[in-house]
Amino acid sequence: MTVYKGYIYMAKKNVGIFLLYLGIFFGIILMFQLLNRENSTGGYQKESLRIAVVDQDGGEMAEALKSYLRDLHQVIELRDNASVLQEKMFYRDVHYVVRIPEHFYETCIVKGEKVPVTQVPGSYTSFYVEQQLNSFLNNARVYEAAGFTEAESARESKRSADVKVELLDTSGNGGEVPNYVNYFRYLPYLFLGVLGYVVGSMIFSMKRGDLKKRMQASAISQRRQSIEGLLACATIAMILWGIVIGVAILFYGKEMNKNPGSPYLLLNSLAILCVSITISYFIGSLSKGMNSLNGMVNVIALGMCFLGGAFVPLDVMSAGVKKAAQFIPVYWFETANELLSRYNLEVVRKEVLQAIGIQFVFAGAFVCMALAVAKRRRAV
Amino acid sequence: MIQIENLVKRYGELVALDHLNLEIKEGEIFGLLGPNGSGKTTAINCMLALLKYDKGSIRIFGEEMRPDNYKVKQQIGIVLQNLAVFDELTVHENIDYFCGLYVKEKKKRKELVAEAIHFAGLEEYVKVRSKKLSGGLQRRLNIACGIAHKPRLIIMDEPTVAVDPQSRNRILEGINELNRQGATIIYTSHYMEEVEQICTRIAILDHGRSIAVGTKEELKSMIKTGETVTVEAVILNAGQLQEIRELASVFDVQYEEQVLTVRCTGAKHNLIWILNYLQEQGVSFGRVFSELPTLNDVFLEITGKQLRD
Repeated sequence: MTVYKGYIYMAKKNVGIFLLYLGIFFGIILMFQLLNRENSTGGYQKESLRIAVVDQDGGEMAEALKSYLRDLHQVIELRDNASVLQEKMFYRDVHYVVRIPEHFYETCIVKGEKVPVTQVPGSYTSFYVEQQLNSFLNNARVYEAAGFTEAESARESKRSADVKVELLDTSGNGGEVPNYVNYFRYLPYLFLGVLGYVVGSMIFSMKRGDLKKRMQASAISQRRQSIEGLLACATIAMILWGIVIGVAILFYGKEMNKNPGSPYLLLNSLAILCVSITISYFIGSLSKGMNSLNGMVNVIALGMCFLGGAFVPLDVMSAGVKKAAQFIPVYWFETANELLSRYNLEVVRKEVLQAIGIQFVFAGAFVCMALAVAKRRRAV
Repeated sequence: MIQIENLVKRYGELVALDHLNLEIKEGEIFGLLGPNGSGKTTAINCMLALLKYDKGSIRIFGEEMRPDNYKVKQQIGIVLQNLAVFDELTVHENIDYFCGLYVKEKKKRKELVAEAIHFAGLEEYVKVRSKKLSGGLQRRLNIACGIAHKPRLIIMDEPTVAVDPQSRNRILEGINELNRQGATIIYTSHYMEEVEQICTRIAILDHGRSIAVGTKEELKSMIKTGETVTVEAVILNAGQLQEIRELASVFDVQYEEQVLTVRCTGAKHNLIWILNYLQEQGVSFGRVFSELPTLNDVFLEITGKQLRD
């Protein structure tokens, strides 16, 4: 296994780059996770304001409106006294005054007239309460138009504020896109970057100067040399995959366990790993120097990840770009990834397997291209 | 030990080897001498089965040389024109790696690697990465990697290209030492001085053909030139040049930029006759050299051109 050891020796010399890429990858993932957490927990806060209601009607619908507002805010009932109301508004004892007029149901619900309100000009709290008020009125108008009586409309309109939304659970994660999706989304960049550099430089090193001739003239057959070389590449790739999947299980193990598509997610990551090795092998056999190797790795890794949907979600891409992206293996990785994270496995199994299969076809194509390059160079 | 018969190698229209015939015996340091493009490296590549040839046969140790004849390859060590070591590995790692391509046994390999390091004088640099070494040291490492497994046959293709004189001498001494230890060596170069210094037999190649083979003495005896006399800073007229041409044993006279070059046959008093003539004519002159024939003279007489043309 001398040739194998030689490749591993050279890979060890690139351990710094290996760790650098891993560090960048985990750093980016951590950053995104923190941003996502802030967005989901702190992006919207329900606020309860002090508002005043002047009820000049007293009917069932007026009661329903007051009850609805009480569920959302601290409601103070006041008499219709302009100076009192102005004073309360001036000292911000109340932020909003709703005046329920006489014949509220007929004027505001049936005829659709506006409810008179007093508000602090330009304050965001006014818009906030106004939206809630309009929501109640619109619901009541819909019920009225549907033939409900005033009592029925009042009851249903009040109840509609309590309606809860339940998402359809298609992925085992309560219908929401699981956190590990982002982690898997960026894997192609890590694989292409690390393997492109490490494997590429190994392959390039083997053909530098007269090294290739010395190897060919040695007592170890070409076949054995190729097998040991491939074994070395596979070892490095599997170490990388092991670290990445190990970290994924550590952080997202519970979430992944809920998703029956997780084994396919791992298979998908293995497929893009194979593609990355073969691309790296191809780059290594094409490159004429370490500088050109670096350039090629960066262009290919970044280019494929941008076009393939790793950095920019596929949903926001135009149809034309998506069509072109189908010629990039990363696109199929991201497609399988998205399908597995959003939909029930039973529904999308065929499409997922198809996307994974296409990646293996790409891997085969890159192997053939690398062998063709090698053969052309040998055929002197 | 090595028989090459009627070897032909073409690159499209270019005939790199044109019915090349060579026989190399065990224990020789066999030199392949020729200008750039004469077919030396192509012949080596064919011998190592790195190149397919169009016609002819190559037998090494009595067996036909094929890309899959690993029994023969096991006994060959190569030192190629360009460096063939890993920049990323240290001196020790490099030698151990290439020795490992031939020797599996760890203990034996350890001894061989230590010997190769000692042979190349790289003891101080064992832990230094190859790319940090000077050009001369890299060349020595290149040789150590090629000979570490103690091969029976060592093929060296211009191993002293771009090497400083000190390292060159050390390399040449090393080659003699390897030969004394029993290795047969094939040495290619376009530096005739090196070939003359170390090779026991020499083949001169030109246009892919072997135009002369023999010991250096045999090769020199093949030509007319026995001595070349050079006189500097001398002013001569046409009549005087003609008279020099007519001196006994002189067969060629060149006069250019006040330098007179006279080629004579192997007579005893060529230099005295020429100097006497100049004294009689009252011609003053500067430095005077008398040289015995070199391989360059052999090449010049056979092909009509200089080795380094």
